[in-house]
Amino acid sequence: MKRYLLILLAFLVFPCLAIAEEEVKIALSDVTVNTDDLESIKRGAKFFATTCMSCHTMVYLRYDKLAQEAGVSYDRMPVNVKNWPNGITPPDLSLEVDVRGADWIYTYLHSFYQDTKRPMGVNNLLVPNTAMPGIITAFQGTQVKIEGQPPTALFHSLHWYDLLVLQKQGSLTPDQFDATITDLINFLSYAAHPYQAEQHALGWWVLSFLLVLVVLSYFLKKEYWKDVKRK
Amino acid sequence: MIPQKKASGLLGWFYARYPWQEFMQNHLSGYFAPRNFNFWYYFGSFSLLVLVSQIISGIWLTMEYIPVSEGAFASVQHIMREVRFGWLIRFMHTTGASAFFVVVYLHMYRGLIYGSYQKPRELLWLVGMFIYLCLLLEAFTGYVLPWGQMSFWAAEVITSFASAIPYVGKLIMVWLRGDYNVSGVTLHRFFALHVIFFPLLIVGIVFVHLVALHKVGSNNPDGVEIKEHKKEGMPVDGIPFHPYYTVKDIFGIMVFLLVFCTVMFFAPKFGGLFLEQENYLLANPLQTPEHITPAWYMTPFYAILRAVPNKLLGVIAMAAAIAFMFVLPWLDRSKVRSIRYKGLWSKIAIAGFTICFIGLGYLGHEPVSPLYTFLARFFSVGYFAFFVLMPFYTAKEKTYPVPERLT
Repeated sequence: MKRYLLILLAFLVFPCLAIAEEEVKIALSDVTVNTDDLESIKRGAKFFATTCMSCHTMVYLRYDKLAQEAGVSYDRMPVNVKNWPNGITPPDLSLEVDVRGADWIYTYLHSFYQDTKRPMGVNNLLVPNTAMPGIITAFQGTQVKIEGQPPTALFHSLHWYDLLVLQKQGSLTPDQFDATITDLINFLSYAAHPYQAEQHALGWWVLSFLLVLVVLSYFLKKEYWKDVKRK
Repeated sequence: MIPQKKASGLLGWFYARYPWQEFMQNHLSGYFAPRNFNFWYYFGSFSLLVLVSQIISGIWLTMEYIPVSEGAFASVQHIMREVRFGWLIRFMHTTGASAFFVVVYLHMYRGLIYGSYQKPRELLWLVGMFIYLCLLLEAFTGYVLPWGQMSFWAAEVITSFASAIPYVGKLIMVWLRGDYNVSGVTLHRFFALHVIFFPLLIVGIVFVHLVALHKVGSNNPDGVEIKEHKKEGMPVDGIPFHPYYTVKDIFGIMVFLLVFCTVMFFAPKFGGLFLEQENYLLANPLQTPEHITPAWYMTPFYAILRAVPNKLLGVIAMAAAIAFMFVLPWLDRSKVRSIRYKGLWSKIAIAGFTICFIGLGYLGHEPVSPLYTFLARFFSVGYFAFFVLMPFYTAKEKTYPVPERLT
């Protein structure tokens, strides 16, 4: 009984997750995040402002300036849009790197494919029946699912590239696309922790200082304890 | 007695009106501690340090934090991004919360292995257990404040334990929450408990803990009473706390801070253990997270709760798991204190208990599966067996001869 209740709950509360359980689970690709690469963060910011920001908010980063430069007028900013299709508000992306992880975002943005059964004509391997339209396909191109049986994977999950094939290239070559998404993720990491550069820089100073204190206090202790012995 | 220095002028005026010198004499320079403290004896002073650090960082967080459901989550991001060094203050507090439990668990474990709870230190142990209990509640109320998904759902699950009580359970649960569900009202009262009630209580009991300690004196790794061998009124195996242990603790604190700061500056999330992934999402009463887990320091008890199929019995088992720790001094009937001189059975029991506690801690953090449920039951039985069987194996086993004085 309890089990059925749980299943019922799962279907009520998590329609998307329940569907995900039935699909093939795909492996996450590794992306190397480099938040010290300022140029990459800037390129990612530009991509974000011109592409993602028409729908996604980023409320915890001060992004008015970014929006202005990208030509998004204030009243058209997603934070002011009230009626999203199907009532699904695109998630805010300020903390997306913490919520999902960089690898997840990288894989998600790579695994869109053509699916005529969906209202927007695209589907996603990582999030089946995702509500997000195929904005990214303009850059990546059109991917389709490989016909027939998927290749067997005994000891590992399949990657998105094991299941999808690029049918028609978009405005970027696959290498350029990978680089662009990496830039975007570097920007998203920055947006989630804008303090991180300061945090690490200060961290090294503090640790060096403490290391000196460890050595000094060790010798101080040794000096005092010279006269402690069994009486 | 070490003669007191004569002071004139302003200092003399002060000394004539306040027992400063007497205090320093009685509790630092004239307070004798065994000379053989090892690694395990650092964790008491570390706990004190973390307590102070939590209070200071907490005061600064309170200046910017907003304890209402509409603003709490955003105010935490405001602290992280807009407040100067706000990220440092918050990471100090979040890393400090976990560090507190690390050092307190090690401090308690020291007491366990060296029999520091035995006569005449039963009250000292009991007071310490009250601190631990308050600390759990302090940590739980604080965990709710960022108002992320895990804050909300952990509060929902933990307050629902009260509903397992027959007849009045529902009433108590609503009274705790201040609402039929966890809501902004709950958040606001937990804020009050977290910043005033529990900290005040903890500081008070910590003071009592120290007073009780200074009455009976510290135990040591040999479990030998240093007061039994005195020369000219001073224990021969004792050394004045100040300067010997103050300089030793300063060294220990520097090493501790080195570890603490490494985590705080470079891995404050600690792989999702100190700051959970789910808690980066705003609390949403309509969406239950896939796995609800309490913070890592509560997972052993959560695993015990889940191991019991009945809800009421589960809550009772969980409460009993903590209650048994309180009565430890009256369960141990061994003639000796330290694990060094206890018999084989005690050594096996403590090793088994350690495995069970860590095992339960791991399982409480993982989703339920048939194998894990079996293991959780196995470890729970082990956990309780350690306490329940203690009066028998400690009384029956053959112990080793205890030295007259410290080795």
